[in-house]
Amino acid sequence: MLRLVANRLLGTASGEVLKRPLQVLPRFYHENVIDHYNNPRNVGSFDKNDPNVGTGLVGAPACGDVMKLQIKIDEESGKIVDACFKTFGCGSAIASSSVATEWVKGKSMDEVLTIKNTEIAKHLSLPPVKLHCSMLAEDAIKAAVKDAEAKRAKMKPSPIEKAADV
Amino acid sequence: MASRLPLLRRISKLFKAPPPAPLRSSRRSLSLRFLLPQAPTPNVSPWSFASSRSFCSGPLNIPQDSQGPAPIDYRSVLLEDEFHGLANSTIHDLQEKLEEYGDVVELDGFDVDYGNEVLTLKLGALGTYVMNKQTPNRQIWLSSPISGPSRFDWDHNAQAWVYRRTKANLLKLLESELEQLCDQLQRKITSNRFQSISIVAYLEIVHVIVLVTGRRYDI
Repeated sequence: MLRLVANRLLGTASGEVLKRPLQVLPRFYHENVIDHYNNPRNVGSFDKNDPNVGTGLVGAPACGDVMKLQIKIDEESGKIVDACFKTFGCGSAIASSSVATEWVKGKSMDEVLTIKNTEIAKHLSLPPVKLHCSMLAEDAIKAAVKDAEAKRAKMKPSPIEKAADV
Repeated sequence: MASRLPLLRRISKLFKAPPPAPLRSSRRSLSLRFLLPQAPTPNVSPWSFASSRSFCSGPLNIPQDSQGPAPIDYRSVLLEDEFHGLANSTIHDLQEKLEEYGDVVELDGFDVDYGNEVLTLKLGALGTYVMNKQTPNRQIWLSSPISGPSRFDWDHNAQAWVYRRTKANLLKLLESELEQLCDQLQRKITSNRFQSISIVAYLEIVHVIVLVTGRRYDI
């Protein structure tokens, strides 16, 4: 897709261009999307079994998009200190999840739940057909937070034990 | 089960018949309600798990809420045909109604396009709607300039496409949003004219319901 866009930019349009209806203007990826595609931030994996790591896995390969977003929680403050992602999908999906990992860093878990897909879509100037990617990124954040909170709830010592430690 | 499919096709053909000409203007706000298919659907939906997994937008090969892959449910083979039938009829009917709507409404940049099973509705400066089938999930996906992305599942109790998170009905959502968008441009309709249109449209609804129920009992 990027190659096609690049060809059109350079004026070496191929036969594919002629098949498009004349009234449709060429669509370009927004520069933010291209930036995230070329320089992806926070790609990687954390240990899924780490009690301080929350993993959100959303989407389905059959649908064309799968996102795995992981967040590392600081035990004391409950804030997200690190995040990483791996996404299988289109450029918009990759950019959406990359933006999501950038935005969750340094925030509390409650705060990141307020991140809306509309904000991600606006930041990347996503076209209508790609708004679903931003929604998937929002879902990935929520799933990761939910997983992290579930783990924290399991790991939390009872108040009596904590008093005994002090 | 085999007899239900021909019934579905017949009813969707009925909805495709153009209504009488004088009522064209009434369809601005009320025509989309004619699109509700009346055909029965299978009793059990193996895909109804989706409501319990609100953070997962896809099945991940798991029809039930289990951790590992589940055995193949062969009932889903027939369900896919039903899904295609229902979704195609919904989208085609919408396409026709929207094209007629476009003829009535004078909106700069109005365009309805259907290609590769994707319905695109352009409303000029007001935004663009994109609707498509998402077959693996048995969903219709809609992208709206007002409410953003939504994913509708077929609810056979309500006989409608419903977005589980907001409980929104596809046709009602489109109706209200289109009214909202086009009302911003068109305030020429006086209250008297609206009342007479409502009465005429009401009669048309009754007429169609009678036709539909009449045909069902023909079997």
